[in-house]
Amino acid sequence: MSASDVNLQYVPTWCPGCGNFGIFNSLKKAFATLQLDLEQTVLVNGIGCSSKIGQYVNCYRIETLHGRSLPVATGVKLANHSLTVIAEGGDGDGMGLGMGHFVHTARRNLDISYFIHNNQVYGLTKGQTSPTSEPGMLTKFTPPPLGNVERPVNIVDMAISLGASFVARSYTGDMNHLADMMAQAISHRGFAVLDILQPCVSFNAINTYAWYQQRVRRIAETHDPENRDQARALAGLWGDEIPVGVFLREERPTFADSLAQLKDGPLASRPLEGADISGLMEELA
Amino acid sequence: MNKDFTCLFAGEAGYGVMSAGSTLAKAAGRNGLWAFVVNEYPSLIKGGLNTCLVRLAASPLQAHEESLDFFAGLSQEGLEQNYSRLKPGAALLVDTAIKVESSRLPSDVRVYLLPLIQKGSGDVAKIMSNSAMLGAFCAISGFPLELVETVLAGEFKPEVFAKNRELLRAAFELAAEQAVVASFPLPVGANPAQKMLINGNDAISMGAIQAGCKFAAGYPMTPGSSVLTYLADHGPQFGLVFKQAEDEIAAMNMLIGAGYAGVRAIGSTSGGGFALMVEALGFAGLAEVPVVMVNAQRGGPSTGQPTRTAQADLAFVINSSQGEFPRIVLAVGDVEECFVETFRAFNLAEKYQIPVIILTDKYLADSSVTHPFFNTNGLTIERGKLADETWLAANRPYKRYEFTDDGVSVRAVPGMAGGRHIATSYTHGEDGFYSSGNREYAATEPEITVKALDKLFAKEPHILAELPAVKLHGPETADLTLVAWGSTKGAALEAMELAKAAGLSVNLLQVLYMSPFPAAAVEAVLGKAKHTLLLEGNKTAQLGALIRMHTGIYIDDNYLKYDSRAFTPSLILEKIKEVLA
Repeated sequence: MSASDVNLQYVPTWCPGCGNFGIFNSLKKAFATLQLDLEQTVLVNGIGCSSKIGQYVNCYRIETLHGRSLPVATGVKLANHSLTVIAEGGDGDGMGLGMGHFVHTARRNLDISYFIHNNQVYGLTKGQTSPTSEPGMLTKFTPPPLGNVERPVNIVDMAISLGASFVARSYTGDMNHLADMMAQAISHRGFAVLDILQPCVSFNAINTYAWYQQRVRRIAETHDPENRDQARALAGLWGDEIPVGVFLREERPTFADSLAQLKDGPLASRPLEGADISGLMEELA
Repeated sequence: MNKDFTCLFAGEAGYGVMSAGSTLAKAAGRNGLWAFVVNEYPSLIKGGLNTCLVRLAASPLQAHEESLDFFAGLSQEGLEQNYSRLKPGAALLVDTAIKVESSRLPSDVRVYLLPLIQKGSGDVAKIMSNSAMLGAFCAISGFPLELVETVLAGEFKPEVFAKNRELLRAAFELAAEQAVVASFPLPVGANPAQKMLINGNDAISMGAIQAGCKFAAGYPMTPGSSVLTYLADHGPQFGLVFKQAEDEIAAMNMLIGAGYAGVRAIGSTSGGGFALMVEALGFAGLAEVPVVMVNAQRGGPSTGQPTRTAQADLAFVINSSQGEFPRIVLAVGDVEECFVETFRAFNLAEKYQIPVIILTDKYLADSSVTHPFFNTNGLTIERGKLADETWLAANRPYKRYEFTDDGVSVRAVPGMAGGRHIATSYTHGEDGFYSSGNREYAATEPEITVKALDKLFAKEPHILAELPAVKLHGPETADLTLVAWGSTKGAALEAMELAKAAGLSVNLLQVLYMSPFPAAAVEAVLGKAKHTLLLEGNKTAQLGALIRMHTGIYIDDNYLKYDSRAFTPSLILEKIKEVLA
């Protein structure tokens, strides 16, 4: 399988120069690198510019509601834990409406990868603040003179503290690095969070390609991703220097491992017939 | 008519009055009698007034009655609230600490003041008080003590049972000293036919298990959560996974994920929780993902009355979520329907690739009834147009949402070779692709929009043709036709029998499936009815409005009960007499 096998015939409707093109290309590259079986792969999207990616990728996809990719992905994974399940969505989608799900999915450590297209603005609704917007950012909903007065969510720091077992960040301007991070996240057994920094060329005048080029730094090889404290210290960096790479990698049992019902294979492949409920009735006799 | 006997056990939460009631009901049910058990409790954990009403008869019961042959109470509040329910000649058993006002008693009530509340502290003493109450009850009513002992022996560990039996017998002896021992008015004897003491939510859960349901998700909300509790407890032995979600929104979306991935899935909640799920309900509708939801109605709006009953979510549930899309809504009326129709709900969900909502209520969900074992013969699992890889290999390219005459397309699930597709919450064409903005679709968007909606609604006539949408109980024609739905069925059926015994001609139209609305079937019955009386547990006659909307038929009289308690046969009989007078 090559990256082009992942393409569908439809032409993406992202704005020219949109960071989503880089994410799309990296995703295809990661799929090809891993030689993923596309019949066994499910991409679960939220809603927004980010989530249009599902319309162009030739695996099984379910395009859900705004903010709801993670609970749907949870249902898919529990129904058939042999599938490769990737959830994705934007910063507005996942850190706004979907924040509650993010918190609890991380706690559960299901074997799902979660790719967050983080452009620090709401794009498809044409330019409002997102939970990751910079303080002072001027948007339609946060006009001058104050602009945005809220502190941004630090996705990486939060994912680490919530219990995600793989946490990484990458940048859409470095497609090879991004493809590598995606491949590592998909290969990781457990909940893998990938924060993808992505310029929005239409509505975010602050976090531009040039802005990121000046700041993005690959995490040094001396960093030990199994060291939680180190990972958190690194996650706290944001500003003149923005680390990208793998912050945390932890091998531990997944939620599905704890379920005896899944030991005999996926729920989806069990026969429906043959439940003998006579014991249940006798219990009430 | 069935001679019956009704006893009310009352006490603060924590004293086990509900287990006293179910013990008596089980003992009776195992020995030839039939029981109907209604629990009433406020929304708190300890204190407050809990009551457990047990109605017993020699033939099957489908409702409770308010008037009491026996009151057994451990709290003053319990007595205060129930003076007026005592029948003349009833027996009143209360703890010696309780003050009885003789002037408030009907004629010939026999009063027994006995030391029931056990000394000592903690929950053990409370539960033991419950045994004392049961022992004294047996002495006074003449209900065989050994039958109660047999039930308790099966439910306690031997040492706990021994202590309780001691107390049970001591209280029995003490009461017997005072009592002119009455003989229990119903024929208690062994009966080989096995019966269960089962409530509606247990029956729904069993129906789901029988239907091969393998996934459940939810967030606790009374009175819907007991389905989830049951499945969490009993599901694993049938390979079912239950996931407690962070909220109802997550729960519904998890169910959709599981349904999309090919697993039969169920959720259960009450109106407020359902309200949170409705955006995702529309998603299931548009993406054509099969999913089964239970909405156990309680009093509303808002937090309303968590532990009380109502039938007021009908209009909401059939219209819930934005836009237009078909869904199946069925209003179960008794435990048999809870079991059988839940089984059918899973078949319907997959055959029509549609969300199915089972509408029940606190009264049905939580009241227990003795019922024969369910007959599982003839319950066949039907998965509808579910693809397999051979079919997918022969039918390329695969179109998930192919336009068909019956509106149903072949469904592939992840993992199947050749079935890759997008399932989406966007309005879409045959391949699932979003129809707006993309140059491939832009020109045809209006056409695709129409076709996509027509596809969804093409299912409705086929669903209607398959559904056992209405049931006509009683004679084909009658002077008065009752119209009811959901748990009101039981009281209405008994009222119909009472009316017959009183020489009145009454039948009952039960609307079982509410959406798609069975207009033709309802019209066929009501078009011939001489006079009609609507019975509903809500303020605004919601079914009446639906009937009017779909058939143009106005129901002649309404009896709407929205006082947070269920209908009883005698109340309905009174209204029948009034209407026919």
